[in-house]
Amino acid sequence: MLKRNRYMDRGTCLVWVFGDYADYFQNRVTLQLIAKGKALASELGTRVGVVVLGEDIGQYVMEYVAHGADVIYAADNNALKDYDVELFTAVAASWVEIFRPEIFLAGATAFGRELFPRIAKRLRTGLSADCVALEIDRETGAFVQTTPAFGGDLLADVVTPVMRPQMATVHPGIFRELPHDPFALAELIHPPLPNLPERKIEVVRRRKEKARRASLTDAGVVIVGGKGVGSRANFDKLFQLAELLGGEVGATRPAVNAGWAGEERLLGQTGKSVRPRLLITIGTSGALQYTAGIRGSETVIAVNRDHSAPIFGLADLGIVGDADRILSLLIEELNRRL
Amino acid sequence: MEGIRSGAVSAHHNYMISGMLRPGFLVGDPGSAKGFYLLADFLLPGENTPRISGRFFDERGDMLLELTWNRLMLDPADCLYRPTPYGFHLSKSSGEIILETTTRRFPNGYITSFSGRLYDEKGVLKLDQEGSSARLVGNDSIMLTAPYQGCFGKEKKNA
Repeated sequence: MLKRNRYMDRGTCLVWVFGDYADYFQNRVTLQLIAKGKALASELGTRVGVVVLGEDIGQYVMEYVAHGADVIYAADNNALKDYDVELFTAVAASWVEIFRPEIFLAGATAFGRELFPRIAKRLRTGLSADCVALEIDRETGAFVQTTPAFGGDLLADVVTPVMRPQMATVHPGIFRELPHDPFALAELIHPPLPNLPERKIEVVRRRKEKARRASLTDAGVVIVGGKGVGSRANFDKLFQLAELLGGEVGATRPAVNAGWAGEERLLGQTGKSVRPRLLITIGTSGALQYTAGIRGSETVIAVNRDHSAPIFGLADLGIVGDADRILSLLIEELNRRL
Repeated sequence: MEGIRSGAVSAHHNYMISGMLRPGFLVGDPGSAKGFYLLADFLLPGENTPRISGRFFDERGDMLLELTWNRLMLDPADCLYRPTPYGFHLSKSSGEIILETTTRRFPNGYITSFSGRLYDEKGVLKLDQEGSSARLVGNDSIMLTAPYQGCFGKEKKNA
């Protein structure tokens, strides 16, 4: 049983988000979680707070405030300059024990996937990984975390009825961030640092991965190919189409397995989630594992030879036809018009 | 558990002081005719130059200068105000730095930091240098979450 302390009453901020600012301005997942956290907090009658650890973190703190954070829990300290999972775990866990949030969220990034299981273990609480939906059950008040299960064949609703906080990592691109508000003000709290464990890893140097084109998760237009595209040559036409529309290319698991696209283009439960203004999905059947990653798209156009394919149930516009033929026609027409 | 420090933070512009971001702060009373004060005013979106005001003294309590919104208004000790690409610095005629401000620009906001040492009219240290930044000495600062609306000493006297 948790003992109450005075900060539980003072810190009426029961929904927390971990600030993952690595590769900021490309990686928007923390902003997306702040928006979702704010909605959850509103339902719970509380506020959303963001935990920010590191050195010289001011600009990230301000970005989180501009995007909806009500409270910032910050440690701006040289000892936290370089990410170290043991140090970050120690700090986050100690702050949870002080302020006792109900919910604690992080992006399902490499960072979140490494850090959050350790924090959950330290706090002896549950963690739902790679969630694709988060809701408060209006009848029971339970925090329902929807996550792929059994290899992605099912979506499972998970609740953590007893232990706190209820922790979840969430796919980037599932939720929409709030607009930047330069007038925003937030509460800033610098909690004490616990005794930090000795750093076992020394960062010798950093090398940035070569910049890719626009991030798939941030693209306004996404063209997705599935097994029904038919061949590598046909799949390459998706890139032509994306180029013409200023978009990016995604792929379903069968297309990735066929070697037509790299793993970094995989969409769905085991890949990325996107919320573009326009998504054109070609030769995809509409399997649940895939559609979980595109459900936030504003307009969906589906192309499939099979008129009974489940993808048409999700599409705003459906085209029954051969992928190769439709792709060629689209490219030809766009080339003529642009 | 002791040691929790709290305040406010703005999305647009903050001062880095005593290891914390603050949207604005005030030490002392700008309305006083002779006493020390330091006002780092709250900036609204659209404003990108921090507004600093103050009446500063040396370690003996002798007045050095009075600054109102980045303008040197009184300068009995022949101090020098010099703009820099990132802010300004105030120095004594000997060249010794009194106060230096540096504003860093980020894609969506600004952070201003200070360096220097400030004393009040009794020669008591009010702002000290700590590593590469500054910290306020004592607990008499007020945080500002809106632009300063009060008057300055001279205006008060004339009012």
